[in-house]
Amino acid sequence: MTVELLILVALASGILAYFVGRLNKVLGAVVTIVASMFIFIMIGYMMQDINAGTTFNYNAVEYMPDFVTFMVTYLGLFFAILVTFIFAMVSFFNPFFVEKYKYPALYSMLYLFSLAGVLGVFLTDNFMVLFFFFEFIVWSGLFLIPLGKNNKAAISYYAFSTAGSFALLYAIFIMFAQTGSYNLHLGLATVSGTTEGTYVLALLAFAAFAKLGAFPLNVWLPRALGKAPDAITAVFSGGLEKLGAFVAVLALVKLAPIGDIAGTLGGLTEATFLFASQYIVATLGAMTIVFGTLMAIRQDDAKKLLAYSSMSNGGYILVALSLGGTLGLSGGLYHIVAHALASAAAFLAIGAVSRVTGTTKMSELGGMIHKMPVTYMVYLIAIISMAGIPPMGGFISKWLIFQAVIDNGLILIAVAVFFGSIGSFLYVFRPLAALFLGQELPQHRDKAKEAPFFMLLPMLILSGLIVFTGVMPNIFLDFINDVIAELGGTGLLLGDYTITGVNGVLQPTLIASVFGVGVLIAFIIFILLKKSKKVGLMDTYTAGNFIYTEELMHYSLDFYAPLERLYEKHINITKDFYKKLENKVVDFGRMIKYFFFTNKPEITVFWIIVLIGFLLWGEL
Amino acid sequence: MIDILLMILTGIGVALFGFVLQTSIAGVNRKVVARVQKRYGPKWYQEFLDIFKLLSKRSVTHGWIFDFGVIMALGGIIGTAMFMPLTSSFMAFDGYDNFFIFVYLIAVGMLGMAMSASGSGNPLASIGVMRALTTMLAYEVPFMIVVLTIIKITGTSSLSEIGLFQQVAGNSWFFIALPIGGIVAVMALMGMLGKKPFETYIAPAEIASGPMVEYGGKQLGMLFIMHEITVFIEVSLFVHLFLGGAENIVLFIVKYFVVYTALNIISSVYGRFKIDQVVLFFYKWPLIMAITQAFIAIYLGWVI
Repeated sequence: MTVELLILVALASGILAYFVGRLNKVLGAVVTIVASMFIFIMIGYMMQDINAGTTFNYNAVEYMPDFVTFMVTYLGLFFAILVTFIFAMVSFFNPFFVEKYKYPALYSMLYLFSLAGVLGVFLTDNFMVLFFFFEFIVWSGLFLIPLGKNNKAAISYYAFSTAGSFALLYAIFIMFAQTGSYNLHLGLATVSGTTEGTYVLALLAFAAFAKLGAFPLNVWLPRALGKAPDAITAVFSGGLEKLGAFVAVLALVKLAPIGDIAGTLGGLTEATFLFASQYIVATLGAMTIVFGTLMAIRQDDAKKLLAYSSMSNGGYILVALSLGGTLGLSGGLYHIVAHALASAAAFLAIGAVSRVTGTTKMSELGGMIHKMPVTYMVYLIAIISMAGIPPMGGFISKWLIFQAVIDNGLILIAVAVFFGSIGSFLYVFRPLAALFLGQELPQHRDKAKEAPFFMLLPMLILSGLIVFTGVMPNIFLDFINDVIAELGGTGLLLGDYTITGVNGVLQPTLIASVFGVGVLIAFIIFILLKKSKKVGLMDTYTAGNFIYTEELMHYSLDFYAPLERLYEKHINITKDFYKKLENKVVDFGRMIKYFFFTNKPEITVFWIIVLIGFLLWGEL
Repeated sequence: MIDILLMILTGIGVALFGFVLQTSIAGVNRKVVARVQKRYGPKWYQEFLDIFKLLSKRSVTHGWIFDFGVIMALGGIIGTAMFMPLTSSFMAFDGYDNFFIFVYLIAVGMLGMAMSASGSGNPLASIGVMRALTTMLAYEVPFMIVVLTIIKITGTSSLSEIGLFQQVAGNSWFFIALPIGGIVAVMALMGMLGKKPFETYIAPAEIASGPMVEYGGKQLGMLFIMHEITVFIEVSLFVHLFLGGAENIVLFIVKYFVVYTALNIISSVYGRFKIDQVVLFFYKWPLIMAITQAFIAIYLGWVI
């Protein structure tokens, strides 16, 4: 099946979902499951074909020459298969959530429309097509986000996304001016190494930052992800945010900038050979990591917390891609996979909790594990991966990224990278402790029950994959090697089970099995000893006090209060900046209004005469 | 197949050795600290007695996660210890003693313990976990920067190869070669081991032993074993990274004993920091020193 047919299928099934959804809300949502599963499987077939060498069936189908073309590349396929997979998994949640929304039929339609947009962006070699579908996704998101809690978040999202889209558009125009064609590969290759290339890089990086929610364009991300419908949050974090990563790959890898600053560091013995632009992007990525981590630590809303963690992980992707090289590229691409799986699973788990309790605020929740053990395990596996602990996928990518950073000798960026990595233990543990563990609060004790099978199914598949990416990463790294080869780099050295980095060999399967052996030993010790007596959660040491209310025994509000106190004065820097910017724009608007649009007609007439005079200048 | 089985058995042997070694040395150290404080102190095998007594007692449990967390904690730590090289040539899994495995696999054990403690439903346990994680955020970054310097200089992240690098004639131990970094590493190691002044997360008089507050019987016994093996891993990391590894097992034990005892003696004369003081402390001097050391060593190439 060709790309354009697949996009048409997505669009048609979106419209179908709308009309079915008008008749029956849930049935409309079921259409999204069927359609997104179908599209995912079709993309999977494409991957088989591309591996079998019959890729050219898909190459460059030109309808209007140089205007609407599609092309399947390894890079595009890598992103497409990942994001369509996330869409397919999350779609299982739609039937359970769709009834809560104001416009359920619209929701189902837009869900599939954004999927169509994803296919269009990733599987084209034409910038105009890319831009069209990029905007298509922004537009779908604009109407999807307000279906959740409020629509202010959507405005913020739209403002930043539009800024990103404009940057993308200008970059396209610069390249079009150079080549006279909208071809993506030709355009990027032509401007490489020229002054225009630097502009294009800056503009594309701006678009990537806006889409990834990286510092300083991060304001929309927590707002939108915190307020969007639960399923959409998972799609955004696991899937749509990766559009930014895709643009970042185009900007940082496919485009060679000018301005080597190795010369300026020439006096030093081991200067690294990065370009100035790469340093800047890496530094901003590092700031994104630190900023996202610090903000995630102090959130009370679990979804917002995970949104900030997405931001921080976006920073890792930026750092890795900007460092480039074999390790940086494979680390960055693998981190995209690992984070997409982990964040989708985590958001789905939180979504499952919010479905039965109606809240995602950690201070209002507690002890959900007793009623939702499977959801808890899904969340646990997801956060182990997010924190970069073996034997999960996140460890492999962090290992690769660390090596890239160390190999380049970037000390200050390493500080940020390590800080974010340790900081992620802190913030991912918070929902675990406050929301799932601790005292079982009475207000949720009766309502809460385990999620239904069809919600558990995608979560379990994702968890399985998270473990699989950590135990047998070579299957995925093999494909990433193909992507890197296509981008013109050299891939990682892979053995049957081993990964060779610059300063060490890793055997993930061995780590996982040794961990298994350790747990087995611990389990044997545990089971051989005397059985313990089960006591209630309120039956704990209270230093002699008598406490009968669960809330008083549940430590969840301001979990990291002593740490937060250290930086809480400085958290509003970006927000204040954008507030000031907003005020300036409003002021400017007022000024324009004052001068040009007054209620005195003579002033308007005066300006019209001035304008005409200006236009006819030289003619008269 | 037999090979792998043998390797795993060796690994279990290493973990067991680490447990016995650390528990004995901890017992000796109780005597040392007692002498510093003008007491007699218990017998050197008191720690063993404590653990076996606990393991034999009947205890209470607060639900499945309380038990599962303990198993995960001990399992993760045993798994990590199995990778640890004892001397620079003897280890269970040759060539896979990557530094990052230790730093991150050890975290599984810690996560298990934190999970189990929070699962007990006692707020003091959660506060302890919060403090432990905050302390970790504090000491880990300066330590990692120093290790980054070592990895950059040696070009390998394998512990045994870093040890061998220091044994080559002309190279001195990294504790001497990177003197500023060495001091940072000692401070970070004290944070890792939860020695005073970084003992905030245990703080017996304040939050009733923090994460451990609800445990008794076999769960506590298993966490004691986990704690001993964790200390073994962390001190061994220091020996391999900074004190030139070990040519043979005797040297390893001697170096190990010296490091652990020195830390205990330093620790026995200090009071306790508040948790925000711990963070501020580590993000002030140790971090600045670590960055300075890294800059000097990597960019200027000044390594003694």
